[in-house]
Amino acid sequence: MEPELAIGLPAVGSVFAAVLRARPRAALLAAAVFGLLGLAAVVLASPGVTSNQLGVGLELSPQGRALLIAAGAAMVLTVVLAPLAVERAILLTWGLAGLAGMAAIAASGSLEILVLVVLVLAVLQAAAAGSRTFALRLRGPVLAVVLLTLAAVCARAQGPQFLQRLAAVGLVAGLSAAIGTLPYMNDFDPNERTATSSIPWIALIGPVLALAVLAQARELLPSEGGVLGALMIGLGLINSVWGSVASWRTENGAAAWHYSFMADWGLVLCGLGLAIADGQRAAILLLYGIVLSRLPLYLWSRQSLREKRPNDRPINLLAAAMLAGAAPFAGFAARVLLLRGATQLYWPLALAIGLGLLLWLPPSLRLGRSLGLPRGRQAWGVGIALAINVVIGLYPQPFLALAGL
Amino acid sequence: MNAAAAFIAWLGAALFVLSEGRRALALGMALITVGFAVLAQTGGGPLAASAFLVGGGIAAGRRFRSGPDVWGVMPAGSTARVVLAAAIGLLALWISTSVTTGPGASVRFAALSVLGLMAARVLTASEPPAVLGALAALALAVAVAAGVAGTSPGPAVYIFSAIVAGGISLIRVREIDGT
Repeated sequence: MEPELAIGLPAVGSVFAAVLRARPRAALLAAAVFGLLGLAAVVLASPGVTSNQLGVGLELSPQGRALLIAAGAAMVLTVVLAPLAVERAILLTWGLAGLAGMAAIAASGSLEILVLVVLVLAVLQAAAAGSRTFALRLRGPVLAVVLLTLAAVCARAQGPQFLQRLAAVGLVAGLSAAIGTLPYMNDFDPNERTATSSIPWIALIGPVLALAVLAQARELLPSEGGVLGALMIGLGLINSVWGSVASWRTENGAAAWHYSFMADWGLVLCGLGLAIADGQRAAILLLYGIVLSRLPLYLWSRQSLREKRPNDRPINLLAAAMLAGAAPFAGFAARVLLLRGATQLYWPLALAIGLGLLLWLPPSLRLGRSLGLPRGRQAWGVGIALAINVVIGLYPQPFLALAGL
Repeated sequence: MNAAAAFIAWLGAALFVLSEGRRALALGMALITVGFAVLAQTGGGPLAASAFLVGGGIAAGRRFRSGPDVWGVMPAGSTARVVLAAAIGLLALWISTSVTTGPGASVRFAALSVLGLMAARVLTASEPPAVLGALAALALAVAVAAGVAGTSPGPAVYIFSAIVAGGISLIRVREIDGT
């Protein structure tokens, strides 16, 4: 019953927050209660156990459950320590809707259910008021829906062997379109609200979606693991280099953050594509970093970006070190694992990844400066995000064990 | 019977791509719904077919109530759309009958052609009513595509997709910040 509750309770919380918008305190209280109950359902869920209460088999994998817990923790952090200008009830409305969708994606037993949940999330997000048109905001997710469905058709239909390979291409392309990485980078408007922009796809929903799609891919294409891995490593290298160079060179600060998410995803795709234990561990650590640290820091940098108040205090340098994956932060452990995994598989790949990592420092310094001088709640938030990242970097094993690795 | 249903689904999708007026969009959605409901009956039984008729019916009804009150079939500059509708139909027919083998060619043709045409409708610049209709048809096509597998996916996927199709059609779109 836990997967159903993990989906249903945040969804109810989101609805309450939206309906009670005129009474912010009541909205906040109701959404917080249902959100925390939903998070408790995720924590208490037994990974790998299928629940079939609604006629659809729902099962949370250890990795999906771990990232849902991380997403829930990130949401608690950002709501409790939200900047004064941000209305918490609105943050909870969108956040809990996203959490419910992520739980549904993580628990879905078939690719079709997963694809339909992605479609629902995309339409709900695109239907809200925003600076881009409805059709434009739907492009990435709808392309993902179509590519993933075509991939499923190719994988299931009887026919020549190349159909299986086409299915592998479709799955990786669909995943890339949903997350918003190259070659299907989502349109990004730096002035748009975070909730209606493409950031939730790349920073919050993407991690859970990637793991769920890959779990389905292993079932659909048991003999095409090599093709899937090669495609993901290739795209990973491109995104890693492109993301870090663009994050360094672009003029707009918010766009630089967007590109930095892409660069992180490049490493994640390399790790997932390696298909050996060290690669998977590196990918999970990087995904923890995206959800628990990079996303909250991006949210807290928005006000400073708008006011154009960069700063060079020690806190900014610490944030830059964290974003660059320096020791003792989680990114360092992830990079060591990634390089070790790549060396085991094919040492020139480790060389390519290692050279790409050198590009990380200049954009990270820039992003660290863009946080400005954190004060009050924002300072607490930045401090907690950095502390969480240090803890994951120094003691990664419990966090990897939570993900079943 | 299935072959006729697949052809009706493609015809509805082609009409949807070629039209701008609410009457033609609603008729296109209705044709897709009827075609898919027959195919859903084969894959998921009467429950799945009924769910499709309800979900698709809601989507068709909503399309009939929003947008310009004209047929608007093939407005000026529709040559590319005509070529697209024919090309996707032929490509889907070739893939479903020649490239892929085994039973269920009708299901493959209907799923591929509607997926392709609705994707084209959403990904090209369109007004929200047309996009919402295309998304509803896309949701139905996702469930029909599950029927490509040799084993039946069961009614749950069909029912969920019908709920999604109906729900999407009822959503109110707010295009610009502050409206």
